[in-house]
Amino acid sequence: MWLNPIVKKDVKVQSRSMKICFGVLAYELILALVFFLAMFIIQENSTYYTDNIYSDLVGLYPVLAITQFVILGVIVPVRTASAISGEKERQTFDIMMTTAMTPFSVITGKVMTAIVQSMLFIAASLPIMALSFVVGGMSWSYLFWFFAIALLISIFSASIGILCSSLCKKSVSAVIMSYGFYLIFFIGTLVPIILYEIYSINYWYTGSSVYSGKSYWENVALPLLLNPAVYLAEFVTLVMTGESIWNNSFDMTGVGGPIRFLAGGNRWIITSTILFLAVSFLFLRLAARRIDPVRKSIKKR
Amino acid sequence: MLHIDHLYKNYGKFQAVKDVTLHIPRGDLFGFVGPNGAGKTTTIRMVCGLMLPASGSITINGVDALNHRKELRKQIGYVPDFFGVYDNLKVKEYMDFYGSMYRMSSGEIERISDDLLELVNLSDKKEVFVDTLSRGMKQRLCVARALIHNPALLVLDEPNSGLDPRARVEMKELLLNLKSMGKTIVISSHILSELSEMCNSIGIMDHGNLVAAGRIEDVMDHVFGNDQLIITLEEGRETALRIASEHAKVKVRSAGEHEIRLSHTMTKQEIARMIGTMIAHDVVVTGFHKQEGNLETLFMRVTEGDGGIEGDGGIEGDGGIEGDGGGEGDGGIEGDDGGESNGGKTGKGENKDVAESDC
Repeated sequence: MWLNPIVKKDVKVQSRSMKICFGVLAYELILALVFFLAMFIIQENSTYYTDNIYSDLVGLYPVLAITQFVILGVIVPVRTASAISGEKERQTFDIMMTTAMTPFSVITGKVMTAIVQSMLFIAASLPIMALSFVVGGMSWSYLFWFFAIALLISIFSASIGILCSSLCKKSVSAVIMSYGFYLIFFIGTLVPIILYEIYSINYWYTGSSVYSGKSYWENVALPLLLNPAVYLAEFVTLVMTGESIWNNSFDMTGVGGPIRFLAGGNRWIITSTILFLAVSFLFLRLAARRIDPVRKSIKKR
Repeated sequence: MLHIDHLYKNYGKFQAVKDVTLHIPRGDLFGFVGPNGAGKTTTIRMVCGLMLPASGSITINGVDALNHRKELRKQIGYVPDFFGVYDNLKVKEYMDFYGSMYRMSSGEIERISDDLLELVNLSDKKEVFVDTLSRGMKQRLCVARALIHNPALLVLDEPNSGLDPRARVEMKELLLNLKSMGKTIVISSHILSELSEMCNSIGIMDHGNLVAAGRIEDVMDHVFGNDQLIITLEEGRETALRIASEHAKVKVRSAGEHEIRLSHTMTKQEIARMIGTMIAHDVVVTGFHKQEGNLETLFMRVTEGDGGIEGDGGIEGDGGIEGDGGGEGDGGIEGDDGGESNGGKTGKGENKDVAESDC
């Protein structure tokens, strides 16, 4: 089987570096710290009169999962943002572009390296994660979903990092730009709702008859399908309660349209997953096009 | 092997490469020279598929480089001027990495990289980390890497820059070795003395134009001329000058006390007859020879533009240099000086500063 040589080389080179050891160590320490802190808080909130204190420990799972997702969301763009710009800084990029590797295979190689690294971190976290299953009474199937979501976050973060890396000459600029992109997804997708609310409140103050006293936020909530925070919240709510965050945390009375449909079962998370994968693929194609040295059509004189 | 036809490249309004036409036959070691900013690297990058021309065509070993890029990449081995390394990668793994990029099997990679490392004299460094090698070794390794897929054309951009004298000699020997194996090599360099020792043909670029191209001796002949004759004499200066100036095919360029410089279109027999006439008229001729030059003086002459290459760019000679509107050679290398056809290189000394700083 042909393994992308970039993955083979990058994984080999990075595994020889002490950075990866320190990275895993720091990752484990943070998780252990979060675990004990969460345990402490849960225990402090439990009383002798609680029927089953173990049921509260279920809360360890979302805490550890979200901690890991956040860490992955932070470190994967850093690792991938230097993938292409790092090659340019080392001046190995031109050589790579004269080999039989296509720009897209270079990009996928870099993304796969990032995913392999993420999975290494996730695998290294299993002993701590397993504690939440032992004491939290969770189903093992949730472990699979945890891996699946971690994989998706890795792919999405890596695609942002790679795109920024292809756009910037310097790794530092690429890292900063990656976080900027992340902010767009976190905050930018909230902008329609914020604007709508401001608009509605403005109508209310001016006494317009149009405002009925009820917010129709659901009309502009669809961009939240691409909000990583909403995605994680939906995942955790689904796992913990079996319901969508929309039904669980919001008053859906009178809400119709696509939100009503997506709030049913796990439709929101499926749609969101598909959209995240589509955006990731788009970013990867853009990055591949961006690094292609002869991407423009030939102009005839 | 390498056919470049009417290649243009613009950076905005600036024309970096203007109508370059160049044909390099198989087995040639071609030296690309020119001052900084002359367009050498741009041309090389276009040949290697790292840049798209504004117009023109590039064919390598029969492959249209602009429309069949996948195939082009198999035909090219590229050595850039700077050798970037990956930390924590051994020499053997470095070769393996690039071999895998051409989808070669591990057995094939191992066999070929063993041979190549032996060729570049790095067999004993297989298990050494690349970043610990000297710059000269790294550059030789880079050549081995560029040859891993047995490309038809090896392109080296300033391979000797930053190398110490010993490393330069080793690199020169390596390239000569490859040349003797029949590999077609294009090398750009500022170190003209080395190029003159290695290359059998050259192309001189200036201001985006290929101002001269062909076998070194033919370019020399064209620039310095078979037509430049220097006669040294002891006595009879006036008589010699009279005989020379009366000859229909001779023009006296300068006359010193014991030396007369002529430009001419005479055949060898006619030169012999004219010298014989001078001797018969009591001129004491002590010697005569055609003007000699080397690559440095050739480079200075051509890039200064004092008349060496003008007009339609046609350099005629046995070496097979073809000019687009000028002379045709016997098949070796074709050079198109079309960009100079309207007197591009007539401004004497216009590039002197650049040329001198590069040399």
